[in-house]
Amino acid sequence: MSDATFSGGQKASLLVADPHTRKRNAAESRFRGYGLAAIIVSMVMLVVLLFTILTGGLGAFRQTYLEIPVTLDAAQLDKSGTRDPEAIKKVLTLTYGKILQQALDKAIADKGIQVADLSDKDRAGLISKEASAQLRNRVLADPELIGQTVETRVLVNGRVDGYYKGRVSMESAARDGNTSPAQLQLADALKAQGMLATTWNWSFLTMPDSSDQRPESAGVGIAILGSLYMMLVVLVLSVPIGVAASIYLEEFAPKNRWTDIIEVNISNLAAVPSIVFGILGLAAFINFAGLPQSAPIVGGLVLTLMTLPTIIIATRAALKAVPPSIRDAALGVGASRMQSVFHHVLPLALPGILTGTIIGLAQALGETAPLLLIGMVAFVKNFPAAPPDGLFDPASALPVQVFNWTQRADPAFMERASGAIIVLLVFLLCMNLLAIFLRRKFERRW
Amino acid sequence: MNDMRTLERAVEQTENKISARDVQVWYGDKHAIKDVNVDILDKTVTAFIGPSGCGKSTFLRCLNRMNDTIDISRVEGKIMLDGEDIYDRRVDPVQLRARVGMVFQKPNPFPKSIFDNVAYGPRIHGLARNRAELDEIVERSLRGAALWNEVKDRLQDPGTGLSGGQQQRLCIARAVATQPEVLLMDEPCSALDPIATGQVEELIDQLRAEFSVVIVTHSMQQAARVSQKTAFFHLGNLVEYGSTDDIFTNPRDPRTESYISGRIG
Repeated sequence: MSDATFSGGQKASLLVADPHTRKRNAAESRFRGYGLAAIIVSMVMLVVLLFTILTGGLGAFRQTYLEIPVTLDAAQLDKSGTRDPEAIKKVLTLTYGKILQQALDKAIADKGIQVADLSDKDRAGLISKEASAQLRNRVLADPELIGQTVETRVLVNGRVDGYYKGRVSMESAARDGNTSPAQLQLADALKAQGMLATTWNWSFLTMPDSSDQRPESAGVGIAILGSLYMMLVVLVLSVPIGVAASIYLEEFAPKNRWTDIIEVNISNLAAVPSIVFGILGLAAFINFAGLPQSAPIVGGLVLTLMTLPTIIIATRAALKAVPPSIRDAALGVGASRMQSVFHHVLPLALPGILTGTIIGLAQALGETAPLLLIGMVAFVKNFPAAPPDGLFDPASALPVQVFNWTQRADPAFMERASGAIIVLLVFLLCMNLLAIFLRRKFERRW
Repeated sequence: MNDMRTLERAVEQTENKISARDVQVWYGDKHAIKDVNVDILDKTVTAFIGPSGCGKSTFLRCLNRMNDTIDISRVEGKIMLDGEDIYDRRVDPVQLRARVGMVFQKPNPFPKSIFDNVAYGPRIHGLARNRAELDEIVERSLRGAALWNEVKDRLQDPGTGLSGGQQQRLCIARAVATQPEVLLMDEPCSALDPIATGQVEELIDQLRAEFSVVIVTHSMQQAARVSQKTAFFHLGNLVEYGSTDDIFTNPRDPRTESYISGRIG
């Protein structure tokens, strides 16, 4: 081979980059720039999203209460004097409202609070309509309270609550039919006396949804329970079915036209819009099988159908990733196919399967559209029973609750919706942490 | 032929362990093995040599029906193990593989402890009635694979933490532990350095005392060093089969001669 063929011109110095190298380097730094920009944009988006949700929703975890002594007048609440629960039940919420009103009037008078232009309506409207119902429930649970004077935490009107969370101002109150500056001044005066405070709101997590007029008492209790029940159904059904199907398809099924068709269809199912699954659930589970509407069992079944393709695809990928040499090794010492799968392949694929499963569950947890079609958007006031019976009781679900609240007119519900989103995100975060933990725990290196 | 040592080793055994008659293998449309007839002796090391893609590994995998795991493969002809056709419909390949063990090209220990690697075969075949017997089988197998002294103090360590040569000897111990009659080795040293290769070759020579060993190798020197019988494969045909000495010193077929002298392959 003659040297002359290659060393045509003079030798270039290594100290100076030639134009071709410069061009390549420029392209590389441009690409790095794009990548960095993409990361920064997504980080900014994430920060904006979290900021919006947290500023909007953290208020839902705080609630303004009035702490006043309430005299439970036996003459009004138990005319018979027998403390018979049946007799007490005949007394309506309206009476309890009056009792609360008397207690508030007495407190105002005792402390000598004077507010200019304070109408009766303003004074009456300070207390939430839900408060009297809560008091009634408390008395029904413990009839001995009748005749006593008890310290009571009374929910205040959503507007007053909003005033202390910065949602309502004196100016907006002047234009608002549901509150007035005088009412807010009364609240300020009560706060100065230490009778009104904004505190941590457990009941947001435990209470059921409430009607349009009472945003202050709305909670995600039933939604959390409903979501939990549905996840239970999804977990119990989709994991065994999905993993068994994947193991069969990946390890046992012959590779022919039929399995190809099945594979394509599983991938297609993963891409089917979720609302279609809702229609399927409505037709198959409610109309045909006759399961009750709004029930977590139906929601769970629909979400199982949705989650199965995700789990199957993830599990198959995890099984594929196990090196074939492990299968050969097991078969080589005389293990049956099933032994080689269950003793060696499955344990190695477990981290991937778990991750796929939890991602599938997380997806199902956040799914709204199919649940709307099977009636889980209904207003549910009674908690479902414990499983398994509770699976057939009406319930709501977290994402549906968010959807529901964003539809309401009162801006206080917007805050509740953001609060519910925070609860949902915390759930998802926990599930993802669990996925990471399990992956670390079961991961084997070789 | 430079410094290749063709050791003088008498082939004492004359008893057939495996007899293959008119074996054909297809991978889809590809005719991978054509009309192979071969008799493999008991307590003998038989080497399969030949250029890449000549079918030697394919044929080896027919001997314990590992080709069954490949959907598109098809085997015709008869392969007899102790006079029984292993492709008979009544034969369960799982049972067959317990009698015909296999060691693979790349060391593939299970990602479990050294002990569990060796104990796996005996466990699934129910060879040990209690823990003491299992311990004994594991020790005997590891000693048989010349690995016992190196790992006896760390049997609970993962098998994947061993060096490449140790891993391959662990795989041999694992294959030996099921007490097979035939040991198939598919290029067992191709992923090992010369020192580890030397150890494994020495081991193969010892294994001959108990098993019929069939080894596929790329290295003619290795075939010459470890085997008593050699079969030369070319393009799916078994070109020549005879005692190792004859093949290397006095090949009958011109193709064999070309290959061992380095003109083809």
